[in-house]
Amino acid sequence: VSAASAPALSSQLIVAMATAPHTWLRLVPSCRSYSKATRLHKIDYPWKDEPKPHWVRQFEARRVDADLTPENRDWLRQWRLQRVRDAVASSSEAAAAASPLKEPPAARPLWTPRVSQRCGLVGIKLGILPMWYRNGQKVHTTVVQIPDQRVLRWVPPEDLGNYASLREMRPYRLNQSLLPRWLTQQRWGLQLVGAVPADPANFTAQWCGIFKAAGLPPMRKISRFLVSPDAALQPGACLGLHHFRVGDCVDVVARTVNRGFQGVMERHLMEGGPAAHGSTKFHRKMGSAAGGGGPIYRGKRMPGVMGNRFRAARSLPVLRVNTKHRLLFIKGFTPGPPHSYCQIMDSWMLDVRRSLDANPPPMPTYFAEDAPEGGYPEDVYHPDLLPYDQPLELPD
Amino acid sequence: MPPAPSAAAGSCALSLGSRFLFGCRVTAAHRFAASPVQPPSPLHQQPHLQPCRQGRRWLRPELRGVYKPRLSPEAMKEFWRLSGIGPDHSRAKAADQQAEVPPEIKRLYQEALPPIVSQDYRDPIVESLHRAEMMRRRRVINIPEFHVGSILAVSVMDKHAPNKVNRFVGLCILRRHTGLFTTFTLRNMVDQVCVQIEYELYSPSIVSIQLLKLERRLDDNLLYLMDAPHSHCTIPFDMVPEPYSRNDPVPVNRERVRLNPPPWMCKWHLHGYQGIDLEHLYSYLSDKDVAKAIEFSKAYKRYDLLDQYLNRVPVPDADYAFKDIFIQHQELLQHQQQQQ
Repeated sequence: VSAASAPALSSQLIVAMATAPHTWLRLVPSCRSYSKATRLHKIDYPWKDEPKPHWVRQFEARRVDADLTPENRDWLRQWRLQRVRDAVASSSEAAAAASPLKEPPAARPLWTPRVSQRCGLVGIKLGILPMWYRNGQKVHTTVVQIPDQRVLRWVPPEDLGNYASLREMRPYRLNQSLLPRWLTQQRWGLQLVGAVPADPANFTAQWCGIFKAAGLPPMRKISRFLVSPDAALQPGACLGLHHFRVGDCVDVVARTVNRGFQGVMERHLMEGGPAAHGSTKFHRKMGSAAGGGGPIYRGKRMPGVMGNRFRAARSLPVLRVNTKHRLLFIKGFTPGPPHSYCQIMDSWMLDVRRSLDANPPPMPTYFAEDAPEGGYPEDVYHPDLLPYDQPLELPD
Repeated sequence: MPPAPSAAAGSCALSLGSRFLFGCRVTAAHRFAASPVQPPSPLHQQPHLQPCRQGRRWLRPELRGVYKPRLSPEAMKEFWRLSGIGPDHSRAKAADQQAEVPPEIKRLYQEALPPIVSQDYRDPIVESLHRAEMMRRRRVINIPEFHVGSILAVSVMDKHAPNKVNRFVGLCILRRHTGLFTTFTLRNMVDQVCVQIEYELYSPSIVSIQLLKLERRLDDNLLYLMDAPHSHCTIPFDMVPEPYSRNDPVPVNRERVRLNPPPWMCKWHLHGYQGIDLEHLYSYLSDKDVAKAIEFSKAYKRYDLLDQYLNRVPVPDADYAFKDIFIQHQELLQHQQQQQ
């Protein structure tokens, strides 16, 4: 079934859809209350949990060329991987210098208070490392690795209505009368970032075509960030580890651990029933579903799959940066299991925004000219953090 | 509000709100069409979502779109190989060129072993970071070799103490966790009160760890001393350290403890403790409990392959960890010699 056989749109609708989405996405029936039950969405559709762009198939089985000898097959694979390495900035500075976008733009934008919002980074959560402050207090740090990533596309705020992935029906837009503010206010645009380059033989031609326009090798992960127009980056620009400095507070957005099908006691912290005292088959159940004889209301808390939702851990300071393995040590815990992707961005919390106004970060991102003299050491620590090879000295 | 399109081809979705999808028959034909990249059309244009009151509400597994935002181990290895920021294998390779790792390394660095968890939760870079930070801490403080059953004296920083240092002597009854999370518990009697203190081995507030007596017991932990007479864990605070040699094997104390009469904190007869006087223990139990304990203590567990697989560190991973630590141990010895 292709788009050609779909019913034709009326001309009025085409005109309406070409304009801002909030003019034609109001699909709410008139009698809708704003209770919590109606704000929940339980719609299922085939592409529900798939990452974008789901209309493009990412992976395909590798072609098996029977004519090639194993040695030639390996040689071709090494040749492909070497081309990927050459195309993307590796850990060495010399390789980064080969990028056509190694030079920052002629006029680097200034940090504008209450306006600027920079692009973020895609990270891979690795694990947890405990550290201690100089006052003896313990702190757990999440170790996040920053892979090779490049900017893929910039969608200005005016074009959000035409942007492909936003034209599909999201479930909350069917329930709610209010669209997300980033869509209605149109202050920020979308910055697409590709991360983790890989062997092109893993991917379909359609997936590789997405990166071709930016002149990049195909990557495993595409993320989007809400970025103000003054901090927009051109396709192909490098995003690196030093985009965030030690002491910057970040928000980490990731998909939480999937805990599988769970009952109400685990999922919604319901009380259940008594374990003893004559309780007959009522120990971990939900109990009543309310309603007073009518149907169960939409959004009733019931057993189901727990976890596997996008959640944000807000305002976590970066305590340490390791340049050898390209690691960020972020205070606290972030959602998701090890080896999962996470989005790291300048925190949206107001006190962090105000501190960034006083100490602006590199805009629009870190470039080689921002490096300190002599480069960075292998480990950069926050001044409050105690490295393990130093003894603790408590003030009297 | 745009006018709702006529109900042609059975696909009128705009004015129905969200309820129509609960009776939808969903097909997957569109996903496998070999078409160029296209933006998705709105729902009312997508003929695969046909509103249908008695439609199937169960999606086939391949359509259910299980989102796996994780990198598989193969994908991680490929990414590390491409970008060159993977785990550092240089130390393990250097250890391969030397002789075998000496057994004293396995005695000194028991916590260098990776944790026994599923492979999904283990990462080689984080484990190597733990080992490197452990060795950095050992340049500041000397952490002696000790086992469960040894007697230690630990001094921690305490701003409320007279000398700003708080010293505690006790019998080590427990050693838990791995890497920088390693903790050990000391038990002693203070003014006829049982005191157990759990210390984090790599906490910088520990000023010194002094080994007073190196010894091993028959069990991994001595938690049953909580239900034993207090004489077993009464250690004088002014105990003189006993000399020991690193080359000799660790002496094993084969003492069998007689527990107090029940009630106990735990069912000690069901955990396979060898350090408890079993005849004396069974004298407190009913016949049914004794039968259960004897059944439990039968050495059939060594034939349980799955139990061994799940509760042991894989041998290659353990070897790799000790090789990594061995090189860093040699660097530590050089550093200590330079300091002298």
